[in-house]
Parts: sequence; structure tokens; C-alpha cells
Amino acid sequence: MSGVIDIVYAEYNYWIYVTLMMIGFYAMIAKKNLIKKVIGANIFQTAIFLFYVSLADITDGTAPIIVGHGAEHAEHVEHAADVIYTNPVPHCLILTAIVVAVSTTAVALALIIRIYNEYGSLDEDVILAARRELQPEFSEHARQKGVAEVSEQ
Amino acid sequence: MKTLALFVVVITGAMLIYAGHDLPAFGDINSPAYQAPMTQYFIEKSLPESGVPNIVTALLASYRGYDTLGETAVIFTAGMAVMLLLRRRET
Repeated sequence: MSGVIDIVYAEYNYWIYVTLMMIGFYAMIAKKNLIKKVIGANIFQTAIFLFYVSLADITDGTAPIIVGHGAEHAEHVEHAADVIYTNPVPHCLILTAIVVAVSTTAVALALIIRIYNEYGSLDEDVILAARRELQPEFSEHARQKGVAEVSEQ
Repeated sequence: MKTLALFVVVITGAMLIYAGHDLPAFGDINSPAYQAPMTQYFIEKSLPESGVPNIVTALLASYRGYDTLGETAVIFTAGMAVMLLLRRRET
């Protein structure tokens, strides 16, 4: 029984992030609204950020800022050598990833605004139907190409 | 369609949780990422080498300065894309 509790205590953070990530993944696949798809992508990205930051965590560790620097007269300085710092490398990596996430979200939302101006809807099915109606030569062309490929064989 | 999506999501989540069993435990000081020579080097040497007490700042702006410079190219590209998409047509 204590073995099970140890496993839960060691891995519960990963379970939380997998759950969050799957919520975002489901929104990306199953939702028809384009804004909801972008929200799903953002939840997915946030789960990955939390995963990396939790990998950096050390029990009883402090934030990776050098203790005692610039405070030579403080009384904590003699303990400075014993301080455990959490891992700074994943934090740095995730700062870069957050910037990329913000950029991709901005471009996605701009694209969605253009799509809404063009088709008057954010629903995927409505947009695809309107596209087929506006440009029938696309589907006709695709059909003829398929027929040509079949006849060649 | 929604059932298929739910099926895919549950299978993927189960595989990820199974894979998470091999990862280091939460807060484990013996995790390979923390015991790696580079991590220990950054924690010990970033203050004498760069003079910045915050290790994350030293990493981001000093050791990986060119990466941060490239990040501004990402922001610039995104900003240009948004401006080109949302500009008003002159008709």
C-alpha cells in the first residue's frame, strides 16, 4: 500500500499535465469553432510549460537566484554555500517557448479575423461549405483529376 | 466523430502516463537533468562569469544571447504576418 502512495507522490504532477494536455488535444480535434481550436492549442502548450517547470523542481530547492549576493552584511550569508537551487536550464528554455507560443497565437488569431471577414462564420463546416459553393471549379478539378488517375491505371 | 476523438485522446493520455512512469520523481535531486555537468556548471559559475545573480537571466541573456537575439526575429516575423493579414485594402 505504501508503494502505491510513493508512486502517486512521485508522479502525480505528470498525471495532471497529461490530463491538461489531453483536454487541449481534444479541443483541437473535436471542436468545430476555430477560436476554440486556438484555445485548445494554448491549453496544450501550457501543459508542456508546466511539465518542463516541474521537471526543474528540486525538493527544498529555492529559486535560481544566488543567495547573499549584494547583501554581505546580512546574517544569512554564512548559509549561502548550503543552498540548493532548482534547475535553471528548463526555466530558460520555457521562457523561449512562451515567446514562440505568443507569436503563433497572434498569427492564428489574425488569420481567424480574416477568415471571419471573408466567410462571416467561425464554424469549420460552414466555411468549408461556403468554399465549395464559391469555388466549384476546385472540387470539379479534383474529381476529374481522380478520374484521370483511375483511367491511367 | 466525437467518439473517435475521445478514443484517440484517451489512448494518447494512457500512453503518456505509462511513459511518465520512467521519468524522475517529482522534486528528485538525483534526476539526470539536475546532475548533468552543464547544470552544475551554470549554478556555480554564472555569477563569477557574467556578474548576474539571477541564473536564469545569466543563461538567457549571456550564455544564450544569440538564441534570444533570434527570438526577436520570431517576434518580428509574427508581427509582420499580423500586419500583412490585418491591413486595410486600398481599393
